[in-house]
Amino acid sequence: MDLSPNEKRLLVLLEKVKTADPSGLATEMGVSPESVIQYAYLLADRGLCRVEKEVRTTYALTEEGQRYASEGLPERQLLGSFNEKIPMQELTRHPLARIGIGQMKRKGWVVVRGGMVEKTGNDAPGEDELALRDLSRGGPGLAELRRRNLVTENLETQYRISVTPEGLECARRGLDMSEEAGTLTREQIVSGSWKGLKLRRYSLKAPPRKVYPGKIHPYQRVIEEMREILLCMGFTEIYGGIVQSAFWNFDALFQPQDHPAREMQDTFYLKETLPLPEGYERVRDMHLFGGNTSSTGWGGRWSREKAEQCVLRTHTTCLSIQHLATHPEPPVKAFCINRVYRREAIDPTHLPEFEQLEGIVMDRDVTFRHLLGFLKEFYHRMGFSGVRFRPGYFPYTEPSVEPEVYVPSLGWVEMGGAGIFRQEVTAPFGITHPVLAWGLGVSRIAMLRLGLSDLRLLYKSDIGWVRETPSWLHGLDKNAGVQQCR
Amino acid sequence: MPVIRLHYRYLEKMVGTDKETILANLPMIGSDIERVEDDHVDVEFFPNRPDLFSVEGVARAMRGFLGMETGLPRYSVSPSGIGFSVDPGLATIRPYLGSAVIRNVNLDEESILSLMGLQEALHWAVGRGRSKVAIGIHDLDAVTPPFRYIAAEKSRAFVPLDFDREMTLDQILDEHPKGKAYAHIVSDFPRYPLIIDARGRVLSFPPIINGELTRVTQETRNLLLDTTGTDERAVATAVNIICTALADTGATVQSVTIGERECPSLAPSERIVSSDDASALLGVSLDPPSLSSLLEKMRYGAEPAGTSHVRVLIPCYRADIMHDWDIFEDAAIAHGYGNFDAEMPRTFTVGAPHPVMAIYAVAREVMSGLGFQEVLPFTLTNEKVLATKMQRPLKDSVLRVMHPISEEQTMVRTDLLPLLLEMCQLNRHRELPQRLYAVGDVVGGTQTLPRAACVSTHAAADFSEAYAIADALCRELAVAVSVEESDDPAFIPGRRGALVSGGKNVGVFGEIHPAVLNAWELEHPVAAVEIDLTAVPGYPGQQGTP
Repeated sequence: MDLSPNEKRLLVLLEKVKTADPSGLATEMGVSPESVIQYAYLLADRGLCRVEKEVRTTYALTEEGQRYASEGLPERQLLGSFNEKIPMQELTRHPLARIGIGQMKRKGWVVVRGGMVEKTGNDAPGEDELALRDLSRGGPGLAELRRRNLVTENLETQYRISVTPEGLECARRGLDMSEEAGTLTREQIVSGSWKGLKLRRYSLKAPPRKVYPGKIHPYQRVIEEMREILLCMGFTEIYGGIVQSAFWNFDALFQPQDHPAREMQDTFYLKETLPLPEGYERVRDMHLFGGNTSSTGWGGRWSREKAEQCVLRTHTTCLSIQHLATHPEPPVKAFCINRVYRREAIDPTHLPEFEQLEGIVMDRDVTFRHLLGFLKEFYHRMGFSGVRFRPGYFPYTEPSVEPEVYVPSLGWVEMGGAGIFRQEVTAPFGITHPVLAWGLGVSRIAMLRLGLSDLRLLYKSDIGWVRETPSWLHGLDKNAGVQQCR
Repeated sequence: MPVIRLHYRYLEKMVGTDKETILANLPMIGSDIERVEDDHVDVEFFPNRPDLFSVEGVARAMRGFLGMETGLPRYSVSPSGIGFSVDPGLATIRPYLGSAVIRNVNLDEESILSLMGLQEALHWAVGRGRSKVAIGIHDLDAVTPPFRYIAAEKSRAFVPLDFDREMTLDQILDEHPKGKAYAHIVSDFPRYPLIIDARGRVLSFPPIINGELTRVTQETRNLLLDTTGTDERAVATAVNIICTALADTGATVQSVTIGERECPSLAPSERIVSSDDASALLGVSLDPPSLSSLLEKMRYGAEPAGTSHVRVLIPCYRADIMHDWDIFEDAAIAHGYGNFDAEMPRTFTVGAPHPVMAIYAVAREVMSGLGFQEVLPFTLTNEKVLATKMQRPLKDSVLRVMHPISEEQTMVRTDLLPLLLEMCQLNRHRELPQRLYAVGDVVGGTQTLPRAACVSTHAAADFSEAYAIADALCRELAVAVSVEESDDPAFIPGRRGALVSGGKNVGVFGEIHPAVLNAWELEHPVAAVEIDLTAVPGYPGQQGTP
């Protein structure tokens, strides 16, 4: 029989041990377990051994799951945080309220009556909580935990190799242990001695060794897609500092100094200050009385100290206005995709830092209709064929518009904001032509594109997920598993 | 943003059409529908339109938008003869007062709810949490005019709303739930604002709480409104919005004499706008008559003034009209955002990536080619990650945020390497070898600086792997470096090198110290490299944009 030396060596071993797993055999033979499986499949092709493959599923708690396993599910913790009843308003202040309230209602632990959350007393531990204590219980509880991303599933393949009666018979008849060529050597190729060699056959049934190429992060790929679209549309890229004075981040964009978005609870303030640029007085005057435009300004007071204080940029618009200030002559088409910071607690759909995309177009005679044209074109190229518009409000644009795109699994989804920069924003920098501007949260699109429901996975990467996500994004179901986030 | 609850029964009565029509058109006048329920809808209106924070205000706008009733709503105001004086001692405390008398109100449960909702939303949006403006609404018949707005002793006492005993002003700040919530607005002043009637009885302790004496119920027929604050314009806006909403329910508004002036007037203000400017901004051709008719739908008074202008009367409740473009936006809304023909302009420009982004792209390509996987760690981190676990001193230039949201995120990263080790820790359960890299911004002082870093962890990871990668990276990025001994305590002495370029330290590489591995709970050696990308030739310098 036409067996390779390695197949023969394996068969001889099997004759002794009858049955074994690949790792034991691999040690004996001084080769890798993958190789043993290769040889075993080759023997199995001839009916000399049997390869039993068993795929075992194991479950493990995620980081969040581990926390709940020790502290209890959010709804359980939340339930324990009050007595018989509590006003909904008060309960929503609990840090776990966002997840917990809905779950408590869904599970029938509480009912909401007239703004009060009342316990029903019907709060025995559910299948999911039992499964959280003991994953081996399986069942619907485990499925629920997986759905909530508290448990991950891992597949483990185990092999068992046993010799068949035919194999034993073959081994007992004695085997010719003479050499067969595995990897060809340079000498064999060059000299032509390969012609006389017996070249070993490899089995296609044994799975290949898994190798993971070096690669760009899937989220970065989505960002690169957007950069390419904007570069192709003739936009120049802007990049700039994470630390900005409140002047550039807010004042230059005509956000009044007492605007709620400027307050501590929404913005990361720093103790550092930065000097105001030359000509800052024109921005101050715009706030106070509208400068030399038809605007009334905000009135009230304007504090230089407030403008000098530094913040972590809350949007990339602070870079757009600085770009315009140094490029006041038309035409300007510029974009920026970079990280911005908001003082938000971390949860599946909110992060204190995330990427924002921003585009501006300044030219003679551009109009609101052109803004809508750019938005349509950009979203079409991003793969959204349905785009529609409704009125919006942003402090630094007028008119303002909220674009919506059509996602088959979700319907119409709000996707960023846009408008024409107010004259109060552009006039202090000598910009006399309209500036069309739009921005959007990039992570929102990335979640749609990558089928994620938890934003945190983009930044606290599970390497397993990075490894398994294809670099070519086209074939993905763009909408799988996405929950609508606001 | 304020979410306003609109009960269908009251809404349909006020608008005069069915709820389906109203719901379909709400987003098109500028709002986000939050929740549609059986008997009501919760709608988020934009903060620049506080006049829409009530059923009455929404109905007024909706009737115009649907063409049921267009043009300026006119409100007549007759004098009530009631006087209201302002104590000059309030000048540094809470100087501005607005007021009005509203007679023949017919309050039922739904209109009281709408009024309270409006008051609450105005406190938030116009009043900035009551600091800029606070509003009190009283039963006029329970008190005796004239009224006085005074700076009172803190020991003065009255019965606040929802209590049945007298409390001093200080006690109210300490014990009353509203007192505790808003004490910060007044507690620094030697005296507190107070509103009293002719007999010295207390109507209100603005911006904290009203007195129980003037509680408004369904039986109340005549109202006194007080609005106090630190911004004259905002105080007037709040008065106008409440008065017009009540007038829309059929009540009569009367003015109050405050010093020399009658308040409120509810008269519109005037602006002459150019129809050519409107056409140029919106990209649709609008002559004065067509612009006028669009604006009438948005409840402006509008009539052509000559061949290219429109005389616009702005209703007194519109606090957001600061500039002609604010009016043009309303014309666009009346035109219908869906009716604009979207079009690309002919602007010709040539695009270009930013040089820093171009450097990042090449760094990614090289690292990926070397077999590393990219990760995108947070930029916000903490001292444990940056210093303690790395055995490194915290850099002097580290930037701390003033009010961190959690202990995990108190400062901005000064290096990438610590974040990569954190990533290894998160992925301990994943198969080795793990080769990870990150490119991105770090911050030193107020400067943003580009970096690249990588780690390789597996049983055989060592100094020579780190050296080889550092060398390859420098060659590919055309950074000419010399290598010197490093003293970075995150690495093993004798297995670490510093990259030096132009006399400046621009990077570090080597084998991570076992004590650092222990701190990160890592069980295998780690070879690591970090390089400062400002050393790359062609780096454009500080935060320049091309």
